Amino acid sequence: MRGLSHRLHRFDVKHMPYVLIAPFFILFAIFGLFPLIFNGVVALRTWRLDDPAQDGWAGLANFERLLTDEDFGNALYNTFGIFVLSTVPQLLLALCVAFLLNRRLRGQTWFRVSMLLPYITPLTASTLVFLVVFGRDTGVANWVLSVVGVDAIDWRAGKLQSWVAIATMVNWKWIGYNALLYLSAMQTIPRDIYEASALDGATAWKQLWRITVPMILPVVIFTVVLSTIGGLQLFTEPMLLDSNPASASGGSNGEWQTIAQLIYKVGWKNLNLGYAAAMSWALFLIIVVVAVVNTVLTNRLGGGKR
Amino acid sequence: MRLHRSGWVVATALVAVGALALAGCKGGGSDEPSKPGGAVELKIAFWGDFGLDELKAKYEAANPNVKIVLNSGEYNAQHEDLQKKLIAGSGAPDIAAIDEGFIVSFRSQADKFVNLLDKGASKYQDKYLGWKWKQSLSADGKTQIGLGTDVGGLAMCYRTDLFKAAGLPVERDKVSALWPTWDDFIKTGQDYTAKSKKKFVDNGTNLFNPILGQQPVGFYDESETLKMDGGPKAAFDMTLKAVGAGLSANLPAFSPEWNAGFVKGDFAVLACPAWMQGHIKNTAPDTAGKWDVAAIPGGGGNWGGSFLTVPKQSKNADEAYKLLEWLIQPEQQIEIFKKVGNLPSQPALYKDPAIADFKNPFFSNAPVGQIFSKTAEGLTPQYLGKKNGPTRVAVENVINSVQAGTTKAADAWAQALKEADKASKA
Repeated sequence: MRGLSHRLHRFDVKHMPYVLIAPFFILFAIFGLFPLIFNGVVALRTWRLDDPAQDGWAGLANFERLLTDEDFGNALYNTFGIFVLSTVPQLLLALCVAFLLNRRLRGQTWFRVSMLLPYITPLTASTLVFLVVFGRDTGVANWVLSVVGVDAIDWRAGKLQSWVAIATMVNWKWIGYNALLYLSAMQTIPRDIYEASALDGATAWKQLWRITVPMILPVVIFTVVLSTIGGLQLFTEPMLLDSNPASASGGSNGEWQTIAQLIYKVGWKNLNLGYAAAMSWALFLIIVVVAVVNTVLTNRLGGGKR
Repeated sequence: MRLHRSGWVVATALVAVGALALAGCKGGGSDEPSKPGGAVELKIAFWGDFGLDELKAKYEAANPNVKIVLNSGEYNAQHEDLQKKLIAGSGAPDIAAIDEGFIVSFRSQADKFVNLLDKGASKYQDKYLGWKWKQSLSADGKTQIGLGTDVGGLAMCYRTDLFKAAGLPVERDKVSALWPTWDDFIKTGQDYTAKSKKKFVDNGTNLFNPILGQQPVGFYDESETLKMDGGPKAAFDMTLKAVGAGLSANLPAFSPEWNAGFVKGDFAVLACPAWMQGHIKNTAPDTAGKWDVAAIPGGGGNWGGSFLTVPKQSKNADEAYKLLEWLIQPEQQIEIFKKVGNLPSQPALYKDPAIADFKNPFFSNAPVGQIFSKTAEGLTPQYLGKKNGPTRVAVENVINSVQAGTTKAADAWAQALKEADKASKA
């Protein structure tokens, strides 16, 4: 009996932590790691759903094809275009909003909660509302433009206008979420630093860039990485902007087709799974590179030394 | 000691919960075949409106053990979905509708469908238009994967009220006489737009498709070679001519804007395969009596038309075939024709008074039975290649981008060649 209890005690101390965290890792292995690795295997194979007879190892042929694929280049261009139009204003505006919310305001809680409303709105619902805004013939956006004397824009007819439309949807959804993250970080900054700088004659603008941003830098980097990942995987908004949302073509000429859309189209509409898997891996690598570059850049800009 | 034991219990419980969650992910599907005596569930997948709502109720009333589930989706997506499920080996509906634009690629996978000849379908061979029967027959002629529902004989639907307002004739024979050729059609359109200041047709793609349907060879010849310089070029040029003449309202087909266009009268004519009648009626019920049907320029042709198939993975193939067989019986086919306008592919029915004498009140009492059956009988159908569906979408996209102004008309054909080539190899 003593031996058993001793062994149990040893097990409890040495192994129980692993048992307790096992459920997560088991789930992660099944739904995270396995698909990732299997996707890599598929990327090296020829696998067509419309022609099961074509099967076998393809080596790097799928990846070679990527390098010269115009559609992939176009999707990459669109994705980065929309990414820049959405991420940069989004984070800057979020910073400004957080800075304003951090001051003493009437109805503080009300403002803070309402910032989060776009975030909790289901993506499909908000996108469908934006489609009404960005309609060509009867859209609200064009009506506003006509009031200020600008000609109506066919939002789906060109790269720039469709990118702006999509970036608007993305920004609307994520500004409040990022602002709240910034706000929570800002509230950990001691008040006396601001007071001391105010005594030294620092303006609000200077306080923001010299005190606030450097002190919340870890959170800024976190949001930059998250929005990089989100921005490069953009899918729902561009899908629904299409007049035929099932087409995944991102406009009649691929004006706003993102990589995620192209992967979906190649895999599930052209039924070429091997090539789609290669694209997914390429997207994964691109995201890793861009996220690292963004982190380094942000760190430099914020004056960090990590 | 006590503490340790309770730690154990909690840990075991956690692991058990985790395992249960995993097990929950695996199970859950209700893939078991229906028990004898219990309800048989039959899923039918199709797109648009096949006119099945009332027939479903009728069949279920006559067969209380059967429950029919209707699944209507987007045209291209339904075919892609079927393809995925055929390969995955499960999830396909019990009855899958397939359009002629996709039938070749499915009939070459005949082993994935129930051979309807084994179920006694050969007795229907003589009832069908010869080419319709052959379209869904496997290359070796031994497997019939589907039975035809409708054919898409072509006509032109037009708005009598808008024609009248623009000073054009409204009587259907006179309207037909306006446009023996597509060039005449474009001239009439220019006349209309000049007088009414409105657009004439809904969209360039809805000219391209019927004109292509009138050509002897479509996108692919029977050796599956892409033949863009024949029929597609002729149809493309004529379409761009109409677009260039300012006739198109540029409403992407089957989009919400397009549907709104029906209600608002944004266009005055619409190329009308028989199955389009149902769409007009469903979309703009308030325009009843304002439409009529005239002949299409350029003679007979076909655009669309479907088959009903039973994928082999169906757990209730026998019941599915029974329902399929019931649906293609003259009584039901006539019912569907009256409801949504889909013209049956069994020529004997064209002489049936229920069709021959049928006048559609929605279309100013036009004798649509006669009009559409005439177009269907004199038809030599095209061979539609395996990649016909995606190729058509690719070329339609080019036409749409010309209309939106992103592609110049002068560059459009080169672009269409490139995109079609890509689609044929995708």
